[in-house]
Amino acid sequence: MTLRALIARLAPLLACLGLLAVWQIAALALNNDSFPTALESIRAIPAILDDKEALINILASLRRMAIGFGTAVLVSIPLGLLMGRSRGVASFFNPLLMVIYPVPKAALMPIIMLWLGIGDLSKTLVIFLGVSLPVIYHSFEGAKAVEEKMLWSGAAMGLSAVERLTRIVLPAALPEILTGCRTGLVLALITMVTSEMIARQSGAGNILFNALDMGQYDTVFAMIIIIGAMGICLDAAFERMRQRLVRWSEPQFDIPLSFS
Amino acid sequence: MNLMPSRSDLKVEAAPAAKPAIPMIEIDHVSQVFQTSSRQDHLALSDISLTIDAGAFVSILGPSGCGKSTLLYIVGGFVNPTQGTARMKGSPITGPGPDRGPVFQEFALFPWKTVLGNIMYGPRQQGVKAAEAESQGRALIEMVGLKGFEHFYPKELSGGMKQRVALARTLAYHPAVLLMDEPFGALDAHTRTRLQNDLLNIWERDRKTVLFVTHSVEEAVFLSDKVVMMSRSPGRIKQIIDIDLPRPRRRTELLLDPRYQKYVVDIERMFDDAGDDGLQP
Amino acid sequence: MNGRGVTTDLLLGLIPITLLLAIWQGTVSFGLAPPTLLPPPGHVFMRMAEQLVTASFDQEILATLFRLFAGFLIAVVLGIAIGLAAAVNPTINAAVRPMVRVLAPLPKVALYPALLLLLGFGHESKITLVAADALFPILLSTYYGASTVEQKLIWSAMAAGTPPSEILFKVILPSAAPSILTGCRIGLVISCIVVFLAEMITSTDGLGHVLITAARTFQAVDMFVPLITISLLGLILNGLLQAARAYLLRGFPEV
Repeated sequence: MTLRALIARLAPLLACLGLLAVWQIAALALNNDSFPTALESIRAIPAILDDKEALINILASLRRMAIGFGTAVLVSIPLGLLMGRSRGVASFFNPLLMVIYPVPKAALMPIIMLWLGIGDLSKTLVIFLGVSLPVIYHSFEGAKAVEEKMLWSGAAMGLSAVERLTRIVLPAALPEILTGCRTGLVLALITMVTSEMIARQSGAGNILFNALDMGQYDTVFAMIIIIGAMGICLDAAFERMRQRLVRWSEPQFDIPLSFS
Repeated sequence: MNLMPSRSDLKVEAAPAAKPAIPMIEIDHVSQVFQTSSRQDHLALSDISLTIDAGAFVSILGPSGCGKSTLLYIVGGFVNPTQGTARMKGSPITGPGPDRGPVFQEFALFPWKTVLGNIMYGPRQQGVKAAEAESQGRALIEMVGLKGFEHFYPKELSGGMKQRVALARTLAYHPAVLLMDEPFGALDAHTRTRLQNDLLNIWERDRKTVLFVTHSVEEAVFLSDKVVMMSRSPGRIKQIIDIDLPRPRRRTELLLDPRYQKYVVDIERMFDDAGDDGLQP
Repeated sequence: MNGRGVTTDLLLGLIPITLLLAIWQGTVSFGLAPPTLLPPPGHVFMRMAEQLVTASFDQEILATLFRLFAGFLIAVVLGIAIGLAAAVNPTINAAVRPMVRVLAPLPKVALYPALLLLLGFGHESKITLVAADALFPILLSTYYGASTVEQKLIWSAMAAGTPPSEILFKVILPSAAPSILTGCRIGLVISCIVVFLAEMITSTDGLGHVLITAARTFQAVDMFVPLITISLLGLILNGLLQAARAYLLRGFPEV
């Protein structure tokens, strides 16, 4: 492989290292107690991962995220597809979704906590809500864009309405749906962290703010690195899977359109 | 009819109007190599040499992929030739400019500007005052038959109308040479013939030099003084044919003219013999 | 689309909202939920009306709006500038692309504690967070729009006498406008969300703070009010942006 190609492949890694270098220099320059250097923070990571308590917290976070994401996808894709193909269904749900859209789902935490307590359910529910919207929207858009003529061909072949939905609309809309899922994944992670920052009880966000309260600044930044790494790894893994699944589609824009 | 033998450099003579010393366009041993995505080299044009005099209407005719558009883009200065030079009035062509105005098959109108806005773009770019540019623009709009559509946006126009706007936009900055890249290819047959007629009418007024790329034999013979026939990729000039038909040309008369028919048939035969399929009547 | 179609759509769309309100009211009236946890809609809207005319509440709204706009505008300026630069300049492109790939999937809210440490608990940390979150969609859409400009448009402009230095502003930017505005819309929604969340996590004022205060004192009604307010704000701002978009893009075919 030529040097140029090699650099291109390693570019994201180089970017990471570059950012860490900038951090290191800035921290040394500012020389502020509350701003540890990159190296100090990295050194604090093993301590976190060794701590059983912290590990349980982090795994609990991931579990909630997985459940929230999974159920959201299972519910949202069919709903989005139906909305895409049926004007009635779309008109029914659209305004409702548009109202819910700008509401920060993690902001519903206190209210949901009032109703459902501070346990797993409220956090998972919030993640579910957060992921649903982009997935519904993208499934909707993807289904809408399916060429009418493809469906006519299907009907001529004798497929029923449900079969057309699952065997034509779903695969055809899959690229768009997966884009929505990717956005949803990023949102799941963010909602998870945020909900834990608000409803402090367990989880990665909780560890973060505990460390903040206790003045363990290098732990704070170490947690940030860990959460950041989780985000990058999940996104990269998803992207790889997505490319496998929709190899046949037109090349999608590869940089993620990510959401907060 | 005049069939010139196939040789490297051939002079295409002007219509009786002018006999200038320096040709308008010279293409001098131009070759073009493109790199395809599979890292292979694709020879698009091979050693093209061609001279075009001022005021000539010249068609470049060939099957798809023969590089005829590439040749046009090189003259336009949008593409730099891998080998050889293109010259306009003796000076090498190094980039695009208002002396060589393009008209593309895809219209390429600015969607954020109205019809008038599109047409005024060139003059405004050259420093013409807004009021003056506007009145010139309106005159052009009327000339191409779109009076009343000044404030329409391209998206509201049909294909034929868009192409009229594209033509007017190019004419607005008074290029000496018109570079037309299969301009009527995206239009239905009826619109196409109307626009061919309109193009000739407009051209008769000031007899600009025109380089017209097409894959239609009939279109090439109908419109031009000379037809440059190109072979399939890698593109080379096969033959250059003088079209000795009187002007002004009327389609309905010409279609029944045996001389016209002979030109068309002979050219088609030449392509057939060479096995260059993909050519349409 | 005929008039009758629009009206039917509208009516159909009102049904779930009305249904929701009805369920809400019903749940309270039938005693399925204690009014301390789920106040009836009437109470909430009345309280909201009350609050909207209260100076202190309006101050909170202004604080939130200020941070929202400041962050959003920074994101717009930076996003468009970097996106355009990366689209036209290969060196900048090579530098920006990997950084965006790394930074985009990062939950920037995780940086919030760092921002608090560095910038304090006031406006700055929140504005920075909003800007950081809203930046990427805008940058990406700008980059996408600018790099997919039809080549023939650029050529037409160059032939008409536009020097290369002006092509960016005269052709690429207007051509990329639909994409840029879509990105801005996403960025705006994100700004609304992030500012509210940041205020919920730590703040001394703003709508998010109002909600947390109400939560701590178990005032359910007062919790709904800021939530609904931010939703309405989001809807209004979105509507304004859509209107601006429709005007700016009036020449473009439906995208």
